[in-house]
This record gives sequence, C-alpha cells and structure tokens, in this order.
Amino acid sequence: MSGAFLKLDALRVYFSVSGGWLKPARKLKAVDGVSLEIAPGEALGIVGESGCGKSTLARAILQLVDVTAGQVVWLGRPIESLTVRQMRPLRASMQIVFQDPLASLNPRMTVGEIVAEPLRVHRADLSREQRQTEVAQMLERVGLSRDQINRYPHEFSGGQCQRIGIARAMILKPKLLVCDEPVSALDVSIQAQIINLLEDLKRESGTSILFVSHNLAVVRRLCERVLVLYLGKTMELAPSAALFGAPLHPYTRGLLASVPIPDPDLQPARLETSLTGELPSPLAPPSGCVFRTRCEFAIERCTVEVPVLEQLPDNRQIACHRWQELQLKA
Amino acid sequence: MTSARSNVLEIESLSVRYETPDGAVQAVADISLEIAAGECIGVVGESGAGKSQAFLAVMGLLAPNAQVAGDARLRGRELLGADPRALRDLRGAELAMIFQDPMTSLAPHIVVGDQIAEVLVVHKNMSWREARAQALQLLEQAQVTDAARRLTQYPHELSGGMRQRVMIAIALACDPVMLIADEPTTALDVSVQAQILSLLKRLMRERGMALALITHDLGVVAGLADQVAVLYAGRIVESGSVRKLLKNPSHPYTAALLRSMPRIDAPVDEPLVAIGGQPPSPRQPIAGCPFHPRCAAAPSRCTTERPELRRIDGAQVACHFPRSNSASAITL
Ligand SMILES: Nc1ncnc2c1ncn2[C@@H]1O[C@H](COP(=O)(O)OP(=O)(O)OP(=O)(O)O)[C@@H](O)[C@H]1O
Ligand SMILES: Nc1ncnc2c1ncn2[C@@H]1O[C@H](COP(=O)(O)OP(=O)(O)OP(=O)(O)O)[C@@H](O)[C@H]1O
Ligand code: SF4
Ligand SMILES: [Mg+2]
Ligand SMILES: [Mg+2]
Repeated sequence: MSGAFLKLDALRVYFSVSGGWLKPARKLKAVDGVSLEIAPGEALGIVGESGCGKSTLARAILQLVDVTAGQVVWLGRPIESLTVRQMRPLRASMQIVFQDPLASLNPRMTVGEIVAEPLRVHRADLSREQRQTEVAQMLERVGLSRDQINRYPHEFSGGQCQRIGIARAMILKPKLLVCDEPVSALDVSIQAQIINLLEDLKRESGTSILFVSHNLAVVRRLCERVLVLYLGKTMELAPSAALFGAPLHPYTRGLLASVPIPDPDLQPARLETSLTGELPSPLAPPSGCVFRTRCEFAIERCTVEVPVLEQLPDNRQIACHRWQELQLKA
Repeated sequence: MTSARSNVLEIESLSVRYETPDGAVQAVADISLEIAAGECIGVVGESGAGKSQAFLAVMGLLAPNAQVAGDARLRGRELLGADPRALRDLRGAELAMIFQDPMTSLAPHIVVGDQIAEVLVVHKNMSWREARAQALQLLEQAQVTDAARRLTQYPHELSGGMRQRVMIAIALACDPVMLIADEPTTALDVSVQAQILSLLKRLMRERGMALALITHDLGVVAGLADQVAVLYAGRIVESGSVRKLLKNPSHPYTAALLRSMPRIDAPVDEPLVAIGGQPPSPRQPIAGCPFHPRCAAAPSRCTTERPELRRIDGAQVACHFPRSNSASAITL
C-alpha cells in the first residue's frame, strides 16, 4: 500500500520469563513476526483473545517496550535509526488512550492542566493564552464544557474521564492515535458516546487509529481493516467488510461466532457454535499452525508445517493451510 | 403471593439502603420478582443499578450497615432476617452464588480439589476421601480439561476461564436449587464466555436448577434467559419474557440500551444511538421517573410523578408513556 506512514516489518517482541527456582529463563513470544502498514486516516483494529499480544504490539509501535527483532518504520525511516532529538516530534505525533480512564489521569492536576500538558511539552512556541484557547476548544470537541476546565479528574464519571484522556491525546493533532481497549471499562450506554466521538474525531482530523479491542462489534463499526492475532502471530488481516462478511480463517470464524447478539431466536444456537478450548500457554506454543489445537479443521499437515501468511487479492492476508477448501465448503 | 408455578425464589418489595456520611444511598428500591424451578432470569442494568446489592441481600451477604426491608423466600422459607447459622447452612447448599472475579472467592493457598471437597465435608458430612473423589467428578461436569491434574493446582495456576469453572464446580457441589451468577463472564474472552454460558445452561437443564444471571450485556441474556428484569436506579423498570423485552421493549430505557449496543449482525451504517447523560447514582435520588433526565420523550409528568410498575402487553413496565401505546404521547 503506498502512502503508508507507519510500517511494521516482521516485528518481534519476546519477553524473558523466569522458569522458576533453578530453572533457566524462557522466551515468551508475545509478538512473533507481525508485518503491516497503516495509511493516513485509516483505522486498523487489532483483535484476538486475552494474551494474544494486542497491547504488546501497540506498545512496541509507541516504543514503550523493547523490540526484539524486526522494524517499526515511520515515514520511511526505521525508528531505531532516529536520534533522541529526531524522536521528539515523532513522540508528539503518536498518542495513546488507555483502558482505565481515571487511572491514566494525574489526580492532582485539573482537567485544563491535563489537556494542556502535551502542548506545554511539545509546543513551547504557543503563548499561555493560545494554549488556553486550544484546550477549551478541544474540551468542547470531546463534549465537555468550558466551565469544567478547573475541576479534578475524580469529580468526573468514567465516560467523562475517557473524554479527557481523548482530549489530551488529540490536542497535538497526532498522526496516529493508539486506543487500547478505550471503551471496555465503560458502561454500555456510555460506550456508544465514546465510539461516536472517536468516529467524529477520525472523520474530522484525518488521524489514523490503531484500535485494540476484544469487542468485535465495536471494531467492525470503527475500523476499515482488522488484524486477527493469535499467540503473537497474524492469522488474518483484511478489510472489515470482507473479514466480518466472509471470515476465511477458522480462528476468525470461531471468534465471530462467539460474539453474543441480543436476539433470543438466534443467540441460544450461537452459544453452541463458539470456539472450544482456551489459548495454549504462550511459553509452549503448538508446533505447525499455532491455532491447530483448537481448530476443528486441523489435519496432519497443520501439526508439522507452519502456514505462511498468504497475500490474497482485495488487500487480504491469511495464514491457514486449508482456507481455500474451507472457503469452497462454506 | 401464591401461583401455579413452583417458584424457587420469591422476592417481594425488597429494598436496600445505606446511611452514609454523605447522605442516604438507596441501592435497591422495592424490587419484586419470582424465579421458577429450571428457569433463568436475566437481571440487567448499568453499573450502580443495584443488581449485585439485590442478590447479596438474598444471600445475606450485605455489609453490616445495610438496612434491608421486604421479603425473600427460598422455596417458601424466609431468608431476610433469618438466623445466621441457618442461612450459612443454606448458602453453599440450596442456594449458591458465583461472582465475576473467582480469584476473590477462591483461597489462594489451598489446592483447587480441597476447596471443592471442603464444601462437601462441611455440608454433606462426607469424609475427605469421598469428598475428593466427588470433587473430581464435579470438575469433570464443569468441563475442566485435565480434571485430575487440576485437583492439585492452586488458583493462580489456572486461567480465568478455568477458575470460573472451578467456582461453578464448588457452587454445584451440594446440588443447589437456586444459583445466582453475578457477571460470571464479564472478565472473560467472548470465546470462553460462550463456553461458560452454555455450560451453565446445560447444568440448569440437567438439574432443574433455577438461575439468576446478572449481566450488563443483553446479548448474554438472549442466549440463556427465559425472563428478564431491567434495573435502573435500584428499581425494576421493565420485566417480562426475554422475547418480549428484546424484540419489542416497552420501556424507553430498554429500547435505548438495545439501540446503543453495537451489534455484530446489524448493518454498520445504522447510527449508534448513545444514551446521553450518566448512569444513575443512588446517592442523588431523582424526582419523578428515575430515567427522565436521559429519556428522549419525557413530558413534564415524568419529572414529577414516579411511574409505578404496571402490566402492559404481557410485561411489567414502569413508564407513563410506554412505547407500544405511546405513538400519540411521543409526538409532543
Ligand atoms: N512485561 C512482560 N513480561 C513478560 N510477559 C509479558 C509482559 N507483557 C506481556 N507479557 C505476556 O505477553 C503476552 C501478550 O500480552 P498482551 O498484554 O500483549 O496481550 P493482550 O492481547 O493485550 O491481552 P489482553 O486482552 O488481556 O489485554 C501474554 O502472554 C503476556 O502474559
Ligand atoms: N456498603 C455500601 N455503602 C454505601 N453504598 C453502597 C454500599 N454497597 C453498595 N453501595 C451502593 O449501592 C449501589 C448499587 O450497587 P450494586 O453493586 O448493586 O450495583 P450493580 O448494579 O451491581 O453495579 P455493577 O454493574 O457495577 O456491579 C451503588 O451505587 C453502590 O455504590
Ligand atoms: S492451518 Fe490447519 S490448524 Fe491452522 S487454521 Fe488452518 S486448518 Fe486449522
Ligand atoms: Mg491488552
Ligand atoms: Mg454488581
């Protein structure tokens, strides 16, 4: 894809985990060779079960965790090749919104100070008045009123705290906004407010979004493309319409079938078609296809041979030995 | 209240109130509901609606400063204000409860097998030897893979889903007639959630056990529940059959909840209609209908007069202008 400003090239993040008393440390492959590109203004969803490496991948892009191998390429330049000074503007152009809204806000700062902080650090050229104007405008954009500017985080609800976190992240007009489970801790009725807000911000600002979530229905609404991770590896990467309309990978299919829908005529039967089993230990991933221990279509070949990530037409990638036969059957 | 159905649990005019330094908190206000044998009732509502408080009251597990009023009868036996010893005997035997975070209810330093066995030793006077054998069977019924090995593992060695299965095994040890599950799958992946829910459903069917399933997810309710009660600000605002409530809700709150949920099966270009404002806080009682500040169609009557629950279209609804017959009222 041309015009990508962020590119991951066979990115690996391994953690060293102590094996216990007198046992050697073991390697945990949290992200194991993920490649992808994000275009300006695009929202990319990252989905998969707990522990599959979603947050680690996001943190690696933000340089919050050491990359073991592979590269993060920003505007054509590998991040590791940048000097500390060159990194500064880059940090400003990547921002993150966390899952727990209240915990991510400094309790001793007012809302106005919290949102102004990134400007103070990265936009020293602005006067105090200019800063205040920008903060007030930003707060209004996320649906908070000007008269709340001098209040402290604990005076706000979870949904409002998440708006503050989003305002802080958006104030520098970043190129990339990373959202790690931004609505998971919120009440159902508030989730929709935040999803709509993110949709609006994305449309108006042209900011790209990396949206990490285990809520597939939310990802489907917000993201143009979706990466399905399993034990640190890409299972499927496809445009949302294709992925949700006709999932190819057995794991994607299983995940989609597990999402409950509020229809008493359909949901009872869906319950029985969900994925079986649980994620294997990432310290001892299965041989061959990592998904094979839970795959109803696994054959001998899946045990011995790692499926390569195939490039399909329509901007789609899949790692499964049997996707073609399975597609024919479906 | 006597009915033809054999009710396992009857809750009548249940209220839970706290006096705090910051004022009174009405956590639960005048809730009545019945659950029949073999039936699942879904109890839904947002954070703070009073779901947990209502059922902790039934279990006799509220904080000591809670003021409880009303009745809760398990197969005709009054639970509220019952002798603590008698209540303790009931809990874990006829009446059991599982929670969102099994880690808080499991003892960290005792192997899983002994935690299950202990329930049998205490409530069923089994020997430890018999109890451990039975524990294995219970784990197998809870579809714990590798059950024999799990008996000797500690809770932290298990995944969240496995721990929840262990909690289910413990809850089922004494064949309860009533199981209360408080957000049992909220912390789990959708895949494991579906497995746990279908396990609960199977066990319910096999044992004729009644289940109260507390959740904020209407999708979860749709897979399991026969009846649904929607709580808002400590009160039931709508209750009835799962089909009625999810397909044709009468209360504006139920309808709004459904519209605000992104659905994996709905067209994406349909707008998501958020509910404005905040979920209720029982610290700030609201005059009139508790939902009126967030209701799209709240004429002045709703701001002054609290609607009582009444029967409409086969459901119980607390709204002055319920949706089915509100066509004229809504176009204000
Ligand atoms: N600092 C660390 N040290 C060792 N292991 C880690 C560390 N951080 C993450 N891991 C492990 O890496 C794997 C991936 O974790 P990660 O947090 O990225 O998963 P996730 O997909 O975000 O899961 P969740 O949905 O639960 O947030 C897990 O097995 C986790 O235990
Ligand atoms: N010991 C207590 N003292 C004062 N108020 C309390 C106490 N325990 C609970 N409450 C209040 O009672 C209200 C109802 O709480 P409850 O836990 O039943 O809500 P819930 O519907 O289960 O919400 P959630 O979905 O967050 O679990 C809350 O506002 C809570 O703050
Ligand atoms: S490669 Fe084999 S085991 Fe893996 S998903 Fe495809 S069929 Fe299943
Ligand atoms: Mg994570
Ligand atoms: Mg609760």
